[in-house]
Amino acid sequence: MKIPSSVKSTFAALMMLGASLGVSLGASLMTGSALAQTPLRIGAINPYSGPLALYGDELARGYQIAIDERNAAGGVLGRKIELVRGDATNPQQGIAAVDQLATREKVEIFVGTYVSAIANAGSDAAQRHDKLWWDTNALAVELTERKLPNFVRAGPYAVNFADVGVRAIAEMIAPALGKQPRDVTVWIEHEDSIYGKSIVDAQKADFEKRGIKVLGTGAHNFRAADLTDVVLRAKRANPDVWVQVGYVIDGNLMLRTAREQGYKPPAMLWVGTGDTFETLDALGADYLEGLHVVSYPRPDISEKYAGGGSTYLANYRKTYNREPIAPQSFAAYAGMKILLDAVQAAGGTEPAKVRAAAAAMDKPFGSYPAGFGVKFDDKFQNTRAFPTVIQWQSGKQVTVFPVAARNAGITLKNVPRKQ
Amino acid sequence: MSAVLHVLVVGILLGGIYALVSIGLNLIFGVIRVVNFAHGELVMLGMYGVFLAYSQLGLEPYLGAVLVVPALFLFGLIVQRLIIEPLQSESMMQMFATFALLTILQNVVLAITRGEGYSVPTKMGALGLELGDIRITATRLIILVAVTLIAVLLHFFLHRTLTGKSIRAVTQDRQAARLMGINVERTFMVTFGIGAALAGLAGALMAPIYTLSPGIGGNFILAAFAVVVLGGLGSVAGAYFGGMIVGIVEAFAGYYIDPELKQAIWFLIFLAVLVVRPTGLFGQVGAEEIGFREQS
Repeated sequence: MKIPSSVKSTFAALMMLGASLGVSLGASLMTGSALAQTPLRIGAINPYSGPLALYGDELARGYQIAIDERNAAGGVLGRKIELVRGDATNPQQGIAAVDQLATREKVEIFVGTYVSAIANAGSDAAQRHDKLWWDTNALAVELTERKLPNFVRAGPYAVNFADVGVRAIAEMIAPALGKQPRDVTVWIEHEDSIYGKSIVDAQKADFEKRGIKVLGTGAHNFRAADLTDVVLRAKRANPDVWVQVGYVIDGNLMLRTAREQGYKPPAMLWVGTGDTFETLDALGADYLEGLHVVSYPRPDISEKYAGGGSTYLANYRKTYNREPIAPQSFAAYAGMKILLDAVQAAGGTEPAKVRAAAAAMDKPFGSYPAGFGVKFDDKFQNTRAFPTVIQWQSGKQVTVFPVAARNAGITLKNVPRKQ
Repeated sequence: MSAVLHVLVVGILLGGIYALVSIGLNLIFGVIRVVNFAHGELVMLGMYGVFLAYSQLGLEPYLGAVLVVPALFLFGLIVQRLIIEPLQSESMMQMFATFALLTILQNVVLAITRGEGYSVPTKMGALGLELGDIRITATRLIILVAVTLIAVLLHFFLHRTLTGKSIRAVTQDRQAARLMGINVERTFMVTFGIGAALAGLAGALMAPIYTLSPGIGGNFILAAFAVVVLGGLGSVAGAYFGGMIVGIVEAFAGYYIDPELKQAIWFLIFLAVLVVRPTGLFGQVGAEEIGFREQS
């Protein structure tokens, strides 16, 4: 039987179509399988060299512990997770690190950093590569104000640090001083970069709302060789609470100078730094007794308030054979856990998908380590992540605020200040 | 009135710190004509040196200085011989070389310490004088006494000893000094060594006051350069009194005006002095030029 040529050509066309469908299906199956075997690479942009490296390394340790835990439980989307470090000591290096990691290292998501200026430039560069920037530790208000379509901040920011400090003064320190909040006076001292100013601006607004009188505000360069003038100005104002926002070096110098000048305000509240061994080494346990510090939650936080602290601490000690250097890594650990849950829920790593999944998350306070919950606002700022307040007690950092975060039997010490 | 006196005392004590950092820098700047950007890092090495002596040998920082100062003197000799001297006819290259040295020293210390802030405790920290409201701590008083002694001793060294006289001769005119038989290169090495040793001493004495970090030298260097130019190139008295002026102005401006503006205020005075008296308050007229004669 002779087959008509039109049927022949139709058959040939169907064969070709079938073959091509088979090839593409096979390719698709191979791609899916290969993808499952390809690790999900997350780029951690931080300063790992230069004077800011100490806390950059510390953040990466927090990320790594969260990733190790997740990998042990099977990874995310059936893929193992790898952390790739991108060193950035300034915004320009932040851009270069993102470019390099996105193109050469095939990084799919970026996380970072505790330096707001680097987060600003790095997230912008990540947007150009259509990659998500998931921030865990940068504080500047402006980062979320930009409404960048690839930006999410899972940790607390400057306004939270200001709010928690002011609340601690009104709800905890004022009663300890035997005063109503409206009768409490404060003096605010801050380092003069955007970091200090943004927190202090928010603090001033909060103090005004609560009727707490701000006697004055001082600003200093954190690299100043001498801060005696700063201390004498605060001493002259004679506030109930001396508030300071700064870095480790200027904060330590200020405390040393206050001790030298015999300045003993009834209460002191440091914001951001002053809760690490560097301050303990500089001042000693006796002088630090009673100093309050607003900072990221510490692993000693009550397990009833927020679970996960003991697991983090055990894994940190096991992995790095030392105690955590700073609480920043605990927040980074919690932030990474939220990210991995969001990616799992999104079913992919595209910024729009992960942001949609993040926006749908509604986790109460304490759902994650450090006491964090998850509920993002329309600027993709997590509204359920807050810092806590520690107080130095016998050379140890003890979480004292919110009161619910305290462990049993913890009370305030040396308020009003006696020594 | 007591507040004014208090701030004056604070300013003089701060002036002692600035003078101590500046004296070595002024010597190097005035004699060798090298803008030593790494001077702050030599101070930083002095700080870490006494920290090492404390942590490894249990030495008080003031005893640690006995080890640190000779070590920095030797380091200064090596830097001059291996880095500065080969670039003698290239003053710009010398400047860049000191900048490279700054970066290397900072990064080496950073790599070793990972940026952790260290402190050097001393029993002197708890001691001091109390005159009414005015408190003078032993740590700052020691610096003031030390820099005063150093200024006096350095003055006698430069005026009474043969090496000192050769340094002054090279400061005034290195070509004429060479013609008079002075070994200019050796004089430069000794001068850089002394400058580095003084930076090391400054670091050792200041270590109990500050939290040590690899970049801490940068906290003093801007003021130190201002002191050198304000006081006069190569002048010991200039560094001493220039330091005092900057310290006192900073203390008064910080207390009575605004701590944020204090640097701007002493830089205004610095500019005014430069305009009225380019050689600085204690500098020899023309000294800022004649030291370059051999190079030009």
